[in-house]
Amino acid sequence: MEKKSFLEKESTRQIIASLLCILGGIVVGFLVLVLLSVFTKNISFGEAVRGILIILGGPFSSGKNAMFQLGNMIFNATPLIFTGLSVAIAFKTGLFNIGAPGQYLMGAMTSLLVALSIPSSVLPPVIIWILALLAGALAGAVWGAIPGFFKAVLNVNEVIICIMTNWIAANVVSWVFNGSKFINYAETKINFIVKTETNNIATATLGLDRLFSGGSVKSYIDISIFIGILVAIGLNIMMNKTVFGYELKACGFNKNASKYAGMNERRNIILAMAIAGALAAAGAALWCLNGHQDFKWDTYQTLPADGFNGIVVALLGANNPIGVVFSSLFLKYINVGGSNLAANTSFNEYVSQLIIAMIVYFSGFAQYITLMMRSRKKKEK
Amino acid sequence: MDNLEAKTVNENTGNSEYIIELRNITKVFPGIIANDHINLQLRKGEIHALLGENGAGKSTLMSILFGLYQPEEGEILKNGKVVQINDPNDANALGIGMVHQHFKLVEVFTVLENIILGVETTKNGFLSLGEAKKKVMKLSENYGLNIDPDALVENITVGMQQRTEILKMLYRDNEILIFDEPTAVLTPQEIEELMSIMKGLAAEGKSILFISHKLNEIMEVADRCSVLRKGKYIGTVNIKDTTKEELSNMMVGRDVKFVVDKEPAKPGETVLSIHDMCVYDHIHKKDAVHNVSLDVRAGEIVCIAGIDGNGQSEFVFGLTGLEPISSGKVELLIDGKMEDITHKSIRFKNTHGLSHIPEDRHKHGLVLDYSLEENMVLQRYFEPEFQQNGFIKFNDIRTYSEKLIDEFDVRSGQGAITRARSMSGGNQQKAIIAREIDRKHNILIAVQPTRGLDVGAIEFIHKEIVAKRDEGRAVLLISLELDEVMNLSDRILVMYEGEIVGELDPKKTDIQELGLYMAGAKRQGKEG
Repeated sequence: MEKKSFLEKESTRQIIASLLCILGGIVVGFLVLVLLSVFTKNISFGEAVRGILIILGGPFSSGKNAMFQLGNMIFNATPLIFTGLSVAIAFKTGLFNIGAPGQYLMGAMTSLLVALSIPSSVLPPVIIWILALLAGALAGAVWGAIPGFFKAVLNVNEVIICIMTNWIAANVVSWVFNGSKFINYAETKINFIVKTETNNIATATLGLDRLFSGGSVKSYIDISIFIGILVAIGLNIMMNKTVFGYELKACGFNKNASKYAGMNERRNIILAMAIAGALAAAGAALWCLNGHQDFKWDTYQTLPADGFNGIVVALLGANNPIGVVFSSLFLKYINVGGSNLAANTSFNEYVSQLIIAMIVYFSGFAQYITLMMRSRKKKEK
Repeated sequence: MDNLEAKTVNENTGNSEYIIELRNITKVFPGIIANDHINLQLRKGEIHALLGENGAGKSTLMSILFGLYQPEEGEILKNGKVVQINDPNDANALGIGMVHQHFKLVEVFTVLENIILGVETTKNGFLSLGEAKKKVMKLSENYGLNIDPDALVENITVGMQQRTEILKMLYRDNEILIFDEPTAVLTPQEIEELMSIMKGLAAEGKSILFISHKLNEIMEVADRCSVLRKGKYIGTVNIKDTTKEELSNMMVGRDVKFVVDKEPAKPGETVLSIHDMCVYDHIHKKDAVHNVSLDVRAGEIVCIAGIDGNGQSEFVFGLTGLEPISSGKVELLIDGKMEDITHKSIRFKNTHGLSHIPEDRHKHGLVLDYSLEENMVLQRYFEPEFQQNGFIKFNDIRTYSEKLIDEFDVRSGQGAITRARSMSGGNQQKAIIAREIDRKHNILIAVQPTRGLDVGAIEFIHKEIVAKRDEGRAVLLISLELDEVMNLSDRILVMYEGEIVGELDPKKTDIQELGLYMAGAKRQGKEG
């Protein structure tokens, strides 16, 4: 077999494509800042330059708060890694899982119910923690399997069912928690659920929270990021090295040939969606079980952004599990930069959201650029 | 330096006996010289065949003439003058038209709309279809190109679609017509018709380049034939001074046998038995396959002949499990006794002795985005030979595929790791055949196994199939190629409109009789 040179490798191409997208987004974002500085009286060009540098600096542009912000950034990236993996695995099987927000909500709800219903006096907290995580993932698996089932058995487009299940989930969550004993009346924030730490349930931090802190204020970081990375590595192995992954990808590439080869494509579609659902839900569970988070339960009008952003990070990470880890961290990094921009310059938070949106928008081109590079290669031939 | 001399002469006189001349055309792709100093001269009013194996460089050469590629070296002359062809528009302006192997027609437009697309006549900004229609109908009468100008392309036969493509070229007043493997998609009757159309066009003064690797057609219709082999120009011969054997020798570089050497069949016990099988066609609301019963015994090649679209595809889908059958029974010899497999899964059939070379290699035969080696184990990846504890043994897959690639001469850019998508059609087909023939099987169902292959490869595949028969396997061949049917089979069953209308012995029948059965003009009684 011939060895391909580094530049000819598909993976290298995809990494380059993703980096180019990010660069494009940054350039356009910078242009927006410059335009604003030109048309707004009290903002100078220098402010625009400072602005883009703050965004690019992410948590590091906050000076002495850098470690604290970095800790929170890593913590917040974990659920995004999971929803990204969820979308990526479905993509590889030829399915578009736009149902990650609903699966996320079902996971959050179920894990919270388990974590708060079993008193820590009855079972050791770590057992409850594990039960809650597993229950959350299971709920997500069931929720994800629904569109999978409709697709496999009745050939209904999974996107339609996914969007429906999203809104059903949003309303189920509100309905289940409405008036329940789990609402946090004590802090008069009745839009939120009681923190799991009140039941002594919190993800282990191994001292990371002290390491990533700003003075005496600890960040939220815990070991969930390691769980995310391990799951990503596991999925990478599953997709590329196992019989199961071979089947899933074959179904994704060519359903007819998979049928011809005797694969059970219906079972594979349902399984892929169940795994995708379990992943999105596990991300939500890990966020809730951190212990210090306020889960907003009246969700009937909104869907969690991390669910949809899973699509973005999956595309930016070229549907590769390891790529998803990096693209999720990057997205959260830019997000922190965005908030620092609003906090430290004359640009308001809408501008920072706009810039982030630009970068996200450009990341959609990642696949397109890979294709372009491939066809250029062909033309040279 | 013949060429130089010729060039001076041409430039001095300003006209040439050749309407198109390609000189020293060289086109290099990384790692391969697709065209190596190729010369081709097309006379006015002749039918010039371009013959070569799969991947010999025929398509590349025609793409250069049509402006799709730029050559590294060489020049193109029209009527003795050097011309530059940068894109298909330039080619059109020079009167060069092409009928591609896969038609470029808008399905939801009518025949007339397709013909005038891009060169519409308008009056005050509105289409004036009336005049265009008159011109098209006149052309169609002159050249005997029977079409229905108001029919939608999606509703007409492949043959009429091809005539539409030809009219497209004539409507644009093209005088040099390139036909890229035009007969690949046609039924025998349509091929006959096309041959006479081509002769008519040439008689009217059109010059035709006819790309093909079917020697019979070239012998019938062409005046001269140029042969390419592995990117090199081998020579040009006058058809009336040559033979099929000479042409194939030029093309392949060795003698090719057209008649398959085989001993008389020694049929053993029945391996596959089909009773009254029906497959329902939900689109046309009738049985696509109606009450088909047949037996295939070990050590014989049974061929189902028929014109495309007479239920052969549906029959195979029903038999292999790709489509459900509405009634009937299928039995397969498993471990020495016949077992009912009618409602068994495809996986069960695959692992209990049924091999299937599918009709559509892109739809069913291959996962195009998988590598060649991954495709080689498409039905076997889960077997202990290739997996352990759920993990795929890639090293063993590599060894196994390389063995097959070697045995079956599957050519590709990067060997076992080549994406199936990037391989040529002929080699994709060879890969599938390698996989299916090598798999443990009692019955091999081969649907048009040599479609798109050149004579060298066809000879090889036929030998392999006969070898499998002699090993005691049963072979069920479904073919549209009459030569293949007559050559390879031990028994011929003719399928017409979803039914078996006759059983023939290839030694006692001829193509004419076979054709009558295929066209539905003759049929045997049930007992026949």
